[in-house]
Amino acid sequence: VTTAGADTRRRTGLIALLAVIGPGIITASAGNDAGGISTYSVAGADFGYEMLWLIPIMTLALVVVQEMAVRMGAVTGKGFAALIRERFGIRPSFFAMLALVISNAATSVSEFAGIASAMEILGVSRYLAVPIAALAVWMLVVRGSYRRVEKILLGLSAVFIAYVISALLVGPDWAEVARATVLPTFEITSGFVVLSIAMVGTTIAPWMQFFVQSNVVDKGLTVRDLSLQRVDVISGTIAAGLIAWCIVLTTGTVLHGSGAGIATAADAAGALAPVAGRYATQLFAIGLLGASLLAACVLPLTASYAVCEAFGFERGIDRSWAEAPVFNGIYTFVIVFGAAFILIPGLNLISIMVFSQVIGGILLPFLLVFMMVIVNDRRIMGRHVNRRANNVIAWGTIVAVTALTLALVGMTVLGVS
Amino acid sequence: MLGKPVLDATGETIGTIHDVAIATREVFPRVTSLAFVGPDKTPFMLSWRKYVASIDDDQVTLTVARPELRFSYLQPDEVLLSRDLLSKQIVDTQGMKVVRVNDLKLSESKNQLRLLGAEVGARGILRGLSPLLERAASAAATLVGRELSENLIAWNYMDLLDRDLSHVQLSVTHKRLHELHPADVADVLEQLSPAQRAAVFEHLDNTQAALTVAELEDELQADVIDDLGSQRASDILEMMDPDDAADIIGDLPYDKAEALLRLMGVQEASTVRSLLGYREKTAGGIMTPEVTTVTEEMTVEQVIEHIRSEATESETIYYIYVVDEERRLDGVISLRDLVVAQPGTLVSDIAERDVFTVNPDDDQEDVAETMSKYDLLAVPVVDETNKLLGIVTVDDALDVMEEESAEDLALATGSIREQGPIASLWWWFVRRSAWLLVWALAFLAVAMLRAQLDPIVAGTANARLGVGLVFMTLATALLPLLLKTAEEVSSRAVAELIEGSDTETRPSLGRRLLRESGIGIAMGLVGGFLAFIWVETLYGGAIAQAVQFAAVTSVSILATVLVGATLGEIALRRSAAGKRVSGSSLGITAMVVGALLYLTLAFWIGTLVGVAGVS
Repeated sequence: VTTAGADTRRRTGLIALLAVIGPGIITASAGNDAGGISTYSVAGADFGYEMLWLIPIMTLALVVVQEMAVRMGAVTGKGFAALIRERFGIRPSFFAMLALVISNAATSVSEFAGIASAMEILGVSRYLAVPIAALAVWMLVVRGSYRRVEKILLGLSAVFIAYVISALLVGPDWAEVARATVLPTFEITSGFVVLSIAMVGTTIAPWMQFFVQSNVVDKGLTVRDLSLQRVDVISGTIAAGLIAWCIVLTTGTVLHGSGAGIATAADAAGALAPVAGRYATQLFAIGLLGASLLAACVLPLTASYAVCEAFGFERGIDRSWAEAPVFNGIYTFVIVFGAAFILIPGLNLISIMVFSQVIGGILLPFLLVFMMVIVNDRRIMGRHVNRRANNVIAWGTIVAVTALTLALVGMTVLGVS
Repeated sequence: MLGKPVLDATGETIGTIHDVAIATREVFPRVTSLAFVGPDKTPFMLSWRKYVASIDDDQVTLTVARPELRFSYLQPDEVLLSRDLLSKQIVDTQGMKVVRVNDLKLSESKNQLRLLGAEVGARGILRGLSPLLERAASAAATLVGRELSENLIAWNYMDLLDRDLSHVQLSVTHKRLHELHPADVADVLEQLSPAQRAAVFEHLDNTQAALTVAELEDELQADVIDDLGSQRASDILEMMDPDDAADIIGDLPYDKAEALLRLMGVQEASTVRSLLGYREKTAGGIMTPEVTTVTEEMTVEQVIEHIRSEATESETIYYIYVVDEERRLDGVISLRDLVVAQPGTLVSDIAERDVFTVNPDDDQEDVAETMSKYDLLAVPVVDETNKLLGIVTVDDALDVMEEESAEDLALATGSIREQGPIASLWWWFVRRSAWLLVWALAFLAVAMLRAQLDPIVAGTANARLGVGLVFMTLATALLPLLLKTAEEVSSRAVAELIEGSDTETRPSLGRRLLRESGIGIAMGLVGGFLAFIWVETLYGGAIAQAVQFAAVTSVSILATVLVGATLGEIALRRSAAGKRVSGSSLGITAMVVGALLYLTLAFWIGTLVGVAGVS
């Protein structure tokens, strides 16, 4: 009798976990999108192992930030945008939404850059691939069928697990890697600072916090589910962090020594050569395509939902243009902007992907400050306000990113390169 | 107004306005208290009536000096405008919408402020950003001949979602969410998040909750019941009509469904269980077992007495069914018959013996059609021994008809969205351009293939492969011909689906294929001829190759027509079996299959012929 009882209990525990799990893992995986892959690759290729130490720290920061978003969603049952509006009023939420839409439009550009790169590896011109991809994404979004496609795309982007194998196969100097992961090293060059901001911007992307929180709200999760949600957030974030670490590690080993750098996506694919041999570029292209398409579907919707939630406009993918003009207008704008930008002739897609993450990184502190004020407000969060450790890490992130941005501005003004 | 300085009687600034409170009992509530923050950031409440001397655009002046002020507390029936209303979500109980308050409109008369309403439109947002922006937008709107209208909701048509108003006394005309008609409550609930829905349900009593749940969209019903506590959920399900309750329980996970059934009363639970046995979308699935029955030997007076005692249980009393001791259906009496008959008349004398009945396995659409054809308010469901199992009432039949017509519409337009004029135009465009998308994708695929293979071909000088690729490229160019044919065939099949033609009058698969193949051969010949001209004149290839390519084109078009016809037949059978069929996926499948066939066939024949001549 006791064994049977224990068995049922364990099973319900597992089922309960499966029911709650999802938002964190999906968000973290979608975070390793085109911009993420290229930023990590460039970091490894340009600076070798020098940036490895950033990854554990950023992973910790992402866990903290995502946990706050999940907690806010579970306690209040409201989205992040709604909370910003209710706590701060119209004007601040206008700027918060402006920041979100700008960073989403920029990231969307990088997703279409990822699609264009992947298709060019497969031999298709970007002027053909990007418009078709934009139309496909737009139709997936309006028909609401992207949730069905989501799993396929997630599966495709799981190709990047190949980096983990690749990292084991390239045979790096593990002692050196361990040292680089633990001991911080700096370079006072604008290249290093820009890439650091891009790394933060892509790891802790602004839209991810809105996305994970609205997922929690839509699933109707409550405070009782909090401990399971933490498991979800932590496991998803650590998995994403591990992949990021492996990308920097492999590109750092394979590409850094050669002095070639990364000019096109095909160069970045070289890091997968230890696993896939001469099929490395194709493998890379397929993974890049899946990850980019997934994020290209999620980004415009996140922006639309957040803006409409904050200002009380009619929203939902089952609403027509006449019913919800703002909602439909914003996601169409984000898709069209992202696709149209890539069609400007002569763009270097890799730099576009990295640069768009810099925009995300610069805008991140603004949104995090809103989050910190809300999550420490006892009237909103009750006894679920932040612990001190959370506050220290989150404020630390805000201060660090702001300092990096100021440093970048300073360097640009002073002409340090 | 917030943030304006507060001056005392001596003209000294003692703080800035932080918030104002209104009296909730009035239709246009008065501002009753003023909250201001002093220099040390602590808020104070003051009675408006006692202390406010005057108010203008720049400041509020009080009647007494700072030391003489007596502070008050927020009364239970007061609502703070900035804290509880501004920027918050409210329910517009007149428009049945959930909206966000962007601004509040106050009116002033003799130092008395009243709340006129909440501004929920874009104009409020603009004003909140900057009054300049509002004026600019207003001017721009006038310029194009439109007016930037205000979207005001009066206090008595608001219900606050975040603050519980249930303990606050409101004016008599105030409409609260849970006082609306259950169908309207359901409309609003559908716009809320799960947490907010749960909060609204707290205020509904079980009867209201049961009626509201019944009005919710099917997908939400199970979710809402699942989120409620088991005891409450089972109480609500007990109050619902058993057919509706069975629908919801059928959608719940097994464990939860069992738990709820165990908590329900024995009688209700067994009724629901028996209904769960019937398949969805049949008469059994939508019927209710609660029927008023009488026997032949009763008098009219007894029958009316019987109805009085039982009517609360039954869904309808317009028809009373006459049964024997084994519950076999013998006849029906309408309420009208009863009322006009003499009290002493026997049931057997006035009962109508010729009763329209349906079987529990009958398709729900047929049941609804029977009822509409014979203008029935209810139709009895009987088994093969003529035993009365239950009735399908007119409200369920109306739901069925709505559902089925939505399905037909979805089939015809390729979407299940509710559509405004612009949306349907878009959808028309997207559907009409599906072939364009397939064509573009085919081009993309062929381009990719050639990008990979052309270098290999050049390297090995493999002529056969080269011709295959050229044939395939030519085929891609001619693809629209085939795609439009596929679209045509599938839209004919869809038209037949919507008409819902009977099985008897429908041609068999063989006859259908024969009929379609005539069209197919004609189309194929035209396509072949075009293909021939195309290769001959534009590419100057050998006659033999032009003929072969023309043959490939003809055969592919014919095959596509047959594939489309077969798919249409499959769809018709599926639809007849009560499954959902999508018209646009039918068309797209036919197109994709046809395109693949054409391209592979062209490639294959090309490699087979293998004489280099066209390039």
